[in-house]
Amino acid sequence: MHVDARELADGSLIEGDVCIIGAGAAGITIALEWLGNGKQVLLLEGGGFDYEQQMQQLYRGGIVGLPYFPLEAARLHYFGGTTNHWAGFCSTLDPIDFETRDWVPHSGWPIAYEDLAPHYARARELLDLAADEWTSREWERRDPSLRSLALDERVAWTKMWQFSRPTRFGTKYRDAIVKAANVHLYTYANVVELMPNESATAVDALRVRTISGREHRVRARQYVLACSTIQNARLLLASNSRVPAGLGNQNDLVGRYFMEHLEMPSGQLVLTDRRVPDMTMYMFDFGRTKARGEIALSAAMQRENRMLNASVSLTPGTLAGAAKAQSTFQAFPPDSMPSFRRSAPDEQSDAAEFATPPVQDMPRTYDLLTRQEQAPNPRSRVTLMQERDALGMPRAQLDWRLTDLDRSSFRAFYEVLGREMGRAAIGRVRMNDWVLEEGPKWPGSLGGGWHHMGTTRMHPDAKQGVVDVNSRLHGVANVFVAGASVYPTAGCANPTLTLVALSVRLAAWLGSRA
Amino acid sequence: MIEQIGRRRFLQVSALGVAGLLTASCTPGELGSNEVDIAVPQLLPVLGPDVVNDIGRRYRRAYPDESSAPRLRAAIGASHRTTAMIGWTQQSLDEQLLADFAGGRTVVVNGWVLAVTEARQCALYSILHG
Repeated sequence: MHVDARELADGSLIEGDVCIIGAGAAGITIALEWLGNGKQVLLLEGGGFDYEQQMQQLYRGGIVGLPYFPLEAARLHYFGGTTNHWAGFCSTLDPIDFETRDWVPHSGWPIAYEDLAPHYARARELLDLAADEWTSREWERRDPSLRSLALDERVAWTKMWQFSRPTRFGTKYRDAIVKAANVHLYTYANVVELMPNESATAVDALRVRTISGREHRVRARQYVLACSTIQNARLLLASNSRVPAGLGNQNDLVGRYFMEHLEMPSGQLVLTDRRVPDMTMYMFDFGRTKARGEIALSAAMQRENRMLNASVSLTPGTLAGAAKAQSTFQAFPPDSMPSFRRSAPDEQSDAAEFATPPVQDMPRTYDLLTRQEQAPNPRSRVTLMQERDALGMPRAQLDWRLTDLDRSSFRAFYEVLGREMGRAAIGRVRMNDWVLEEGPKWPGSLGGGWHHMGTTRMHPDAKQGVVDVNSRLHGVANVFVAGASVYPTAGCANPTLTLVALSVRLAAWLGSRA
Repeated sequence: MIEQIGRRRFLQVSALGVAGLLTASCTPGELGSNEVDIAVPQLLPVLGPDVVNDIGRRYRRAYPDESSAPRLRAAIGASHRTTAMIGWTQQSLDEQLLADFAGGRTVVVNGWVLAVTEARQCALYSILHG
């Protein structure tokens, strides 16, 4: 069922068993998992079914600290959320990503890779990925045209990525949600406050506003906050009528540990073998490639070199091209976002075969783009501004900060990679100048992947995390948080696959208890 | 023949010590049938002379005590003494580069992660052809 909240009488009361706040990848996943489960599921979406400038402006916020994408461009505020313009890059986190690493402060998840692995399978289905296979050997068996470079796996390995078409949740799952008897989708229903009981140990109701000025109440037994990393923190911090610091923020952790993936052009690989190896495994053609490999370093090397996790993609290039490397902030300015949505390959997929494209002449030179996790950093944070949006909500302010470990890991990565490429007689690696430079200053090519993580991190100890192992808000019995905001560490894989898997896990756990 | 010469020269060099290497190393243009010229790095056809020269010049600036052809030849030879005495073959040079990488004998020159041997080859090239 679908209701436009703008058409409800002012002061309406909406009631259900469970309420999901936010209809992006996380919220829609949970709703899909609960289709026909006998519970009355409320799904609240702040926007409508399409992009609207007025709704998007509700996400506008401040940027302090390191430069960043404008917040109103970094997430989409309508049904389907940011899947409406995501690129579809998927890979699993690695087992080491879940471990407590003594050289990475605040690292460690309260769950292991094995706990999440079963849920990756369902996430794979929802994201239309080709197979439940995440090793290069499995992909080599599936497709003989894919051959991994002969690296010593004790040092480096081929990390597999799969590509969603990319699936636009707002398009693909709209009918399933709207036609479901037990799911009640409310569009233009912006939650502006979670209203707790007197002791702030549970939430009694939500305050919902429409852009036209109407205000409603929503009541459910349980609430799932699934508004995206920045908006999750913003909403908890703004829910401060009874708890001045914000709901769930008794230990001043909400909004902290904001993380991005550092996606930066970092170097080049020149193949030196007399016979150029077949590099099809590492090639990518948007909308056509099902899977490709990137090069990552082993857990043992990460431990030995006390570095962060990263993987690197290979794109045919030239030695002269290295100097032209751009920041993603420059390469993808906000005004390019509409074109991202128009070029959604789910509209092209009938025309373009979704298969490994043939590579004609194997080039010798490749540009290396690093995707590196950001070390968890309590000073990298989202806070509230004095300025308010059209609904009266304080706007979010992002203070993105990096650490020395973020910087030193790049050089460590490329030194190890360079040695291994040489030892394996594959080629030589050149690091870009900025990788060699020391000191705290980041280069103009500093860029992120539009990936927002942290801000409501998962930890069993309320003094170290905002949600517990089941994503329940510490100290608040009936509020759960979904999405990448619960990540304690980021890994180097793009967040969508894992956040969908975590949402499947939460839906299963909560669905069995609700 | 090459092996005999090598053995005789090895004994000479052993007696003279490392200092003797500086003068006893073979000269270009006297290569045996399987020998390769160490002054022509394998990187040359891949990276081109400009890049190789640039690497070579930077290496010499970073390690001025090696900045002469005899010293570079000696240093390259010293890294794999026995083979050096019989002259470098393509195979032995390949093996030396792989051994450098495997053993961590690498150097970063203008961002390039190189085996020490090939960095010295670039330096030698830059002296002879730069």
